[in-house]
Amino acid sequence: MTTQDRKFDQQAVALSRRRFLGLLGKGMVCAGTLVSANSAIGSAEVRGGKRAYQQNDAQYTESLNNPPEIPDYNWNDHQWAMGVDTDRCIGCLRCMEACKMENSVQMDAFHHRTWVERYVYLEGSNTAIVDSQADPKNIENTGSETKFRFDNRYRNVKVDKAFFVPKLCNQCEHPSCVQVCPTGATFKVKDGPVLIDTTYCIGCQYCVQACPYGARSFNEVRGVAEKCNWCYHRITKGLNPACVEVCPTGTRIFGDRNDPESPISLFIKNNHVQVLKPEMGNAPNVFYKGTDKEVV
Amino acid sequence: MPKHIVRLLALIVVVAIFAFSAKKFLTPDTFYQYGHYRGDAVAEIASKAPKLQGSASCEPCHKKAYAEWTDGIHRKATRKNAIQGVVYKYGPNCEVCHTGPAGNHPSKDAMPLSVEDQVTSITHPEIKVHPANVPGRKLMLTPEEMKGVCLNCHEKMEARPKEQRQIEVASHSGEELCTKCHNPHSPRIIYASLPQSRRGSAQAGKIVAAVCSGCHGAAGMSVNPSWPNLAGQHADFLVDSLKAFKSGVRKNDMMSSIAAGLNEADIRNVAAYFSRFSCGVTGGDKAEAALGKAKAANCAACHSAGGLYGSGAPGVSGIPTWPNLAGQNAEYLASTLRSYQDGSRTHPVMTSVAKTLSDSDIDHLSAYYASMKCK
Ligand code: HEC
Ligand code: HEC
Ligand code: HEC
Ligand code: HEC
Ligand code: HEC
Ligand code: HEC
Repeated sequence: MTTQDRKFDQQAVALSRRRFLGLLGKGMVCAGTLVSANSAIGSAEVRGGKRAYQQNDAQYTESLNNPPEIPDYNWNDHQWAMGVDTDRCIGCLRCMEACKMENSVQMDAFHHRTWVERYVYLEGSNTAIVDSQADPKNIENTGSETKFRFDNRYRNVKVDKAFFVPKLCNQCEHPSCVQVCPTGATFKVKDGPVLIDTTYCIGCQYCVQACPYGARSFNEVRGVAEKCNWCYHRITKGLNPACVEVCPTGTRIFGDRNDPESPISLFIKNNHVQVLKPEMGNAPNVFYKGTDKEVV
Repeated sequence: MPKHIVRLLALIVVVAIFAFSAKKFLTPDTFYQYGHYRGDAVAEIASKAPKLQGSASCEPCHKKAYAEWTDGIHRKATRKNAIQGVVYKYGPNCEVCHTGPAGNHPSKDAMPLSVEDQVTSITHPEIKVHPANVPGRKLMLTPEEMKGVCLNCHEKMEARPKEQRQIEVASHSGEELCTKCHNPHSPRIIYASLPQSRRGSAQAGKIVAAVCSGCHGAAGMSVNPSWPNLAGQHADFLVDSLKAFKSGVRKNDMMSSIAAGLNEADIRNVAAYFSRFSCGVTGGDKAEAALGKAKAANCAACHSAGGLYGSGAPGVSGIPTWPNLAGQNAEYLASTLRSYQDGSRTHPVMTSVAKTLSDSDIDHLSAYYASMKCK
């Protein structure tokens, strides 16, 4: 082998390694594009309300052709959503009480499917003081853990600004709780809500940890996770969820987004609304009007 | 193949077969039907019976309460701007106040347990029945609940929007139950529709009035400015006051013994007699009256004809059992307000109202009401 030859040979080897790396790089870019394009398409489809979260094509077709047997109800016709007009909330906590009775939630201040928080900015302060019905002073106020009422602790202090914010499960488009459930006990249905199959829940509480909104709690009596499902048993019968039904000020607005004349469609159309913690990417289905940035 | 490998492989095969068949038999058919969950669960959850029945469901059996509620402010309330184009009726409905969802009321049977409720306890087996599943709920409020039910929505509180009507409990009702003055099913007070108590006879009252004229004047205008005029006062209030003196609820050296000697009929008759006279305006210091006017907004709800919002003569109370103040002797007004303050005269509402007044407030208000037209 001549020196020339050897040099050529070495060059060839060097070239081929470089080419290999180059190809590898390009391949990865291509693959990456494909993957992200794919998932983008996937999520676009989900946002369009076409299929439920984590549903494959066959399952999607099944849900169209063979929906669950609920009398006078087809889940393909509805896309439920809720609105909360915080300017109107008077903090009476009737929603929480009605919800607990309707859904047999434990009757104490710490277990709830929906609850109300009070945000108070004292004079000159930039940070809100937040309390809810579970605050010891509020429990003391009613003298009973099974009755709920905010106390009047700010009666004698100067307050710059204060408001109530009702909270509940956001029934997200991309629910973190469903992602972590090991048994398929919690799932997103086609018409919007995220439900819990209590007979399949093993009480591991991963979902309680995963929820960015703290909307889930653990029911020690039944040994299962607990959360709002927009009263699925009521909305499938043409009724409003319990909290919407009892709200005395029209703070809570509920309806079908497929119907452009429904209260919720009009609410979203005619108001500036926002969702909580948009940066989490969960894409909530509860729309708030009139909340501060501090509300999370 | 060595024996121990064969054994191992056999074991693996057995375990695998067992695992596969277990999965086959234990996974319900509908698992994966619509996704990674049991498809049947959706219909199961939807099958639960609603417990909240809605106000319309009470109508067939509780016609009176339902009619009152439908016509009242608690049903009629509307607030604009929530959703343009949609008028929203709201306000508390029956089950909001009546302790919660009616469930199977009035039946004594329990609601059927839903799948969700049937899940057995893993940690506290002793707790089985949930309050809301108890059969035959009574729905009537206990006295304890009556005290709190209205305050859930009407107690004056920071964070509550201004549009919601709110009251300062101490000065509005004190320890009184709200239902003493408000009909819970139609709470807005409409003065004209208040029932009038049975009237006495002014004719017969004239005889009794002879005893009184020495102090209160023959035509109800008192001879001493620190004693109250009775002319033109609401008959119902005069009756209530005399009964209060008689029973000892209200005490006064002169009046207590006089009232003790009057019977039911005397009281009604003499009240009718004095209330028929036209009242006179005793007048008060002009400068003080001007100052009093600013303060009188706090009294308007009860001591003016139109209530809080209506336009009506100040000092002429809309409720016949409550006193008119217009034209009354300034000195009497001031001394009686001070007696509410020191406790020698008490009334659930007025005591707490009077305690919010300073000494000069009292003088100003007394001058103001004394110089108001009493018709
Ligand atoms: C089928 C007829 C029926 C319907 C519908 C009904 N009730 Fe009753 N309700 C009764 C009867 C009968 C009683 C008396 C028996 C009892 O006290 O349990 C009663 C008692 C009550 C009482 C207690 C009254 C008292 O003086 O003690 C309240 C409050 C009440 N109902 C509220 C409601 C409300 C609110 C609804 C609607 C959600 C409703 N009821 C629907 C028949 C009915
Ligand atoms: C704002 C709260 C509130 C609402 C709303 C309300 N109630 Fe009541 N209701 C009360 C209270 C308080 C009492 C007790 C009254 C008393 O003891 O004087 C009562 C008494 C009653 C009684 C027994 C006394 C009577 O008047 O016969 C019935 C029956 C009743 N309510 C039915 C209803 C029905 C039906 C509705 C809905 C149409 C309704 N209530 C809505 C607060 C409410
Ligand atoms: C669940 C909340 C709630 C409860 C409980 C409640 N209310 Fe109301 N109330 C309202 C709302 C909402 C309005 C309508 C306010 C408006 O439109 O300005 C109202 C209106 C009123 C008004 C009319 C104010 C006016 O002149 O316009 C009165 C008086 C009143 N309530 C008294 C009561 C009494 C007495 C009770 C207890 C028996 C009671 N409320 C219980 C929510 C409630
Ligand atoms: C001594 C009789 C009395 C009692 C007791 C009473 N109220 Fe009132 N309330 C009135 C009168 C009079 C008004 C004035 C009505 C008006 O001006 O239209 C009124 C007005 C109100 C208003 C409307 C206030 C506004 O700003 O428009 C509310 C709300 C109210 N009451 C709630 C309650 C509640 C809750 C209770 C029980 C804690 C209660 N009331 C007890 C006599 C009473
Ligand atoms: C000895 C003088 C005297 C006589 C006689 C007298 N009163 Fe009085 N009356 C008073 C005084 C003083 C008061 C003020 C009591 C107070 O401050 O609580 C009063 C108060 C009253 C009041 C309460 C008025 C209000 O605005 O609160 C009534 C009603 C009344 N008298 C009726 C009568 C009647 C009827 C008679 C005759 C049967 C009568 N009085 C006889 C001195 C008298
Ligand atoms: C919530 C209703 C209410 C309000 C507000 C109220 N009052 Fe009264 N007031 C009453 C009632 C009821 C009585 C009758 C008390 C009694 O029988 O002892 C009364 C009695 C009085 C009397 C005694 C009258 C007499 O002839 O004996 C005076 C004076 C009076 N009020 C002044 C005021 C003044 C001044 C204010 C405002 C600062 C005020 N009140 C606010 C309800 C009210």
